[in-house]
Amino acid sequence: MKTTYLGEFEYAVLLAVLQIESAYAVPVRALIEVRTGRSVARGALYTALERLEAKGLLRSRMGDPTDDRGGKPRRYFTVTPAGLRAIKATHGAFAKLTQGLETLLERP
Amino acid sequence: MTPRPVPPRAAERVLAACIADPEWRDAIAGDLREEFAGLNRTRGPREARRWYWRQALAIAGHAVGARLRRGRRPERAWIAPPEQEHRQRWGAGMLKDLGHAARTLLRRPATSAVIVLTLAVALATNSTSVALLDAIVVRPFRFPGVDRVVMVVSSDPQQGLLDRESVSAADFAEWRRETRTLQHLSAAQWWDANLSAIDQPEQVAGHKVTAGFFEALGADPILGRTFTREEEVPGAHRRVVLGHALWTRLFAGDPGIIGRTVRVDGEPFDVVGIAPPGFAIPLGNQIWAPIAYTPDEWADRRGRYLITVARLQDDATLADARAELGAIAERQRREYPDTNAKLPNAVVTFTDGMQDAGAGAFLSLMTGASLLLLVIASANIANLLLARGTERTQEFALRLALGGGRTRLVRQLLLEAGLLAGLATFVAMPLAMAGIGLTRASIPPAIVRFIPGWEYLRLSPELFAVTALLAAAAMALFALVPALQTVRPEIADTLRTGARTTTAGRSRHWLRATLSVAQVAISLALLSASGLMLASVDRAMNGALGFDRDNLLVARVVLPDGPYEQAERRRQFISGVLDRLRSIPAVNDAAMVSNIPYGGNNSSRPFRPEGEVLRESDVRNVDYRRVTPEYATTLRIPLLAGRALTSADRLDSPAVAHVSRSLADRYWPGSDPLGRQFRLAADGPPITVVGVVGDVLHDWFQQRRAPTVYRPLAQDAPYSHHYVARVVGSPLALAGDLRRAVQAMDADLPVIGLQSMEELMEERTTGLNTIAGMLTVVAGMAFGLAMMGLYSLMAFLVSRRTQELGVRMALGATAWQVVRLATGQGLKITAVGIACGALAAIGLGRVMESVLFGIVASSVWQVAGLAGLVAIVALVASYLPARRTASLDPTVALRRE
Repeated sequence: MKTTYLGEFEYAVLLAVLQIESAYAVPVRALIEVRTGRSVARGALYTALERLEAKGLLRSRMGDPTDDRGGKPRRYFTVTPAGLRAIKATHGAFAKLTQGLETLLERP
Repeated sequence: MTPRPVPPRAAERVLAACIADPEWRDAIAGDLREEFAGLNRTRGPREARRWYWRQALAIAGHAVGARLRRGRRPERAWIAPPEQEHRQRWGAGMLKDLGHAARTLLRRPATSAVIVLTLAVALATNSTSVALLDAIVVRPFRFPGVDRVVMVVSSDPQQGLLDRESVSAADFAEWRRETRTLQHLSAAQWWDANLSAIDQPEQVAGHKVTAGFFEALGADPILGRTFTREEEVPGAHRRVVLGHALWTRLFAGDPGIIGRTVRVDGEPFDVVGIAPPGFAIPLGNQIWAPIAYTPDEWADRRGRYLITVARLQDDATLADARAELGAIAERQRREYPDTNAKLPNAVVTFTDGMQDAGAGAFLSLMTGASLLLLVIASANIANLLLARGTERTQEFALRLALGGGRTRLVRQLLLEAGLLAGLATFVAMPLAMAGIGLTRASIPPAIVRFIPGWEYLRLSPELFAVTALLAAAAMALFALVPALQTVRPEIADTLRTGARTTTAGRSRHWLRATLSVAQVAISLALLSASGLMLASVDRAMNGALGFDRDNLLVARVVLPDGPYEQAERRRQFISGVLDRLRSIPAVNDAAMVSNIPYGGNNSSRPFRPEGEVLRESDVRNVDYRRVTPEYATTLRIPLLAGRALTSADRLDSPAVAHVSRSLADRYWPGSDPLGRQFRLAADGPPITVVGVVGDVLHDWFQQRRAPTVYRPLAQDAPYSHHYVARVVGSPLALAGDLRRAVQAMDADLPVIGLQSMEELMEERTTGLNTIAGMLTVVAGMAFGLAMMGLYSLMAFLVSRRTQELGVRMALGATAWQVVRLATGQGLKITAVGIACGALAAIGLGRVMESVLFGIVASSVWQVAGLAGLVAIVALVASYLPARRTASLDPTVALRRE
């Protein structure tokens, strides 16, 4: 089976979705911003989510409409097994590349 | 609880518009609302709204950008609508759709056949008229470089008729000397050549031309040579070039003819060349000789009868030539104010210059009518397709609901229309061939000679392309509108209500009604136009001619100016022929006239009534005839006042004339014209009016009776003249006798156009007749189509309301009330259509009156009559379906699907 490697932003999005229980765009974005300290454009996030879903790395379902959202439902995302494999592959690749650099990288 | 903060609506709309996928649209809008609510609390509504705008625009930009990068809409993975199955392979989807379209058409074979035939007939009509227009108006001449051949005329093409025979010898000579933009500028003069080479003398269409004539037209003789400048002087001019057709007919294509002598006009001419095959310029010309003028004649600026042709120099354009000749003409106006002061000047292309003045107008009319027929046919088909579209609304709604794309549906409809149009094009081709064949057959060869380009009238690949193009245009008209209409309705509404109970969308109703109104209006206008044409044909043939056309034998003789230069010799000749004619027992009366009615030629003179001082520009031309005394009695033109011309009016007696009633009314209204005097030239003798005769229609295109002066033969003898004989029985039985009478006087002279007056008139009106006939056919078809359209619309509308009408009947409505209700719509459509059509018809009538030089006279009564006819037919068309519904049992009507 072909291994998918992820781009940096896609990697971040997938990790954030994994971290959050019932993940949808708002908390995913907030988490990435808080943990990485980088601001994330909403448009870019939506495009990335859509693309990841199209690649089969994410799966989505529509929630129930709620009043505080003007009657619009949330779109919840979960990582698919393929998504998890991609995360692992990407993480492994970086891990192998950083082998032996621990002292350098973890020095404050 | 405080009201929930609302984000900017406009921003939400922008966002929604940019995101195609409805679920994403909702999810994103919801996310933004959620964050917006938080910001509203922490930073205030103003800031929150601003934030919302920024985000909405940013996200919209991302979404659009992503879609553009991918080149298509975002896909939804878990629903695969049918249209996406073949996304990647557009061609495959196309094939599938094509198959679907074909099956759809085959499912309604009758409707499809009606559509294809309707369109094919309209296309064939258009092809025929386009072929005519192309052959006769657009490209009547097709020799190489025809677009660089020009004519210089002393007339103003803007002022209606372009008169190509309008240049004086002196003007031409000056132009030829001075021009730098034209090469081979040459002149031609009409020449009725009496050729007596073989057994019977015959008259051949000829022109006398200057050197350079053949070169300007790019015609190399296939044998021998053309003319030189040295041959343009009397004495050296007895040379002829023969036309290829004449050469093969009379001399069996014998190459030894070069250098031999033929007798023309009683004189020997050397044959120096043979024109290339097909070369017959101008107007079927078959013999050419050099123009031979004396120096005096070359200096003449008054006689303006030359045609000129030239070829543009290689580096010159038409505009250059216009500028140069315009400047020369301007100078000539100053130098020769007597003759040239008001003389217009124009350089026109050869094709424009040779154009028969009426042909363009007639054929444009014909083409316009054909196009209108195509519009009617398209409207009809659009109505049919709309009706079918209504039936298919549910099918389409279902497909849309299941995720089918609107573009795909439109493509489907276009494919169906394209199939129909393609089929119609192929059916139209044989029909067009038949149409062209009929047109060719309808014009006798004697006239065809005068129609340049007639030989090019045929079905060509270009014509096929034009037809296909028209079919595509028609398709766009009749398919796209219903297609858009069909695909528009809201899915949910359509599915919920079902197409049966509602009477389709309001807008579609409106569209169908508009189409029907247009059909009724256009067909009324076309009917009226063809009615006008038919009326003019009828008037030309059977109207008040002013003379009795029955049992008349006519013939024309042209006396050559060499042997007949003396007026006395011409008089002797004419009197001799007439004496011989009168000695034939079957001849009641015989006379000579210089220009016979319907003879196709005319002559006129400036008329100056005595006792009035007229400025030169106020002098009007009147028709001028030279007659023998028996002319009026022979043609049975009534003598209204005064005495007949007699043999006592001689050359040495006072100059006298008859005038027509219209002339008397114009110049001496309310007073006695007898004894009045006038002159026909500023320095001419005074002529006394001794009688007034009835008006005569000289030609078919004349509306008003032309003022005419008749002068006795004894006082002015013509070269070209006609004989008329009133005979007992069939005129043609005496044709041989007339020919013998002429040849007894001069064996070299041919008799031209020996026929009965009726034949002559029919021949002259053939063109008009043909066009009128074609227009009538077109208008008839248009009328039929429009009525068919109206009928099908009414039947459809009533059938949609069957249930409703059933309810009404069940509740006690009478049959009459139901009929009235059901026909109401048809009445409205008809009324509006007739109102628009009547306006259009009157307008069209006015246009025809002005474009066709008063050949037609529009009449409000005729329009009113035709409107009545259309109204009756339309009423019947809407009554019949209504009647059928009203006669149904209410219970049946209620259950009708």
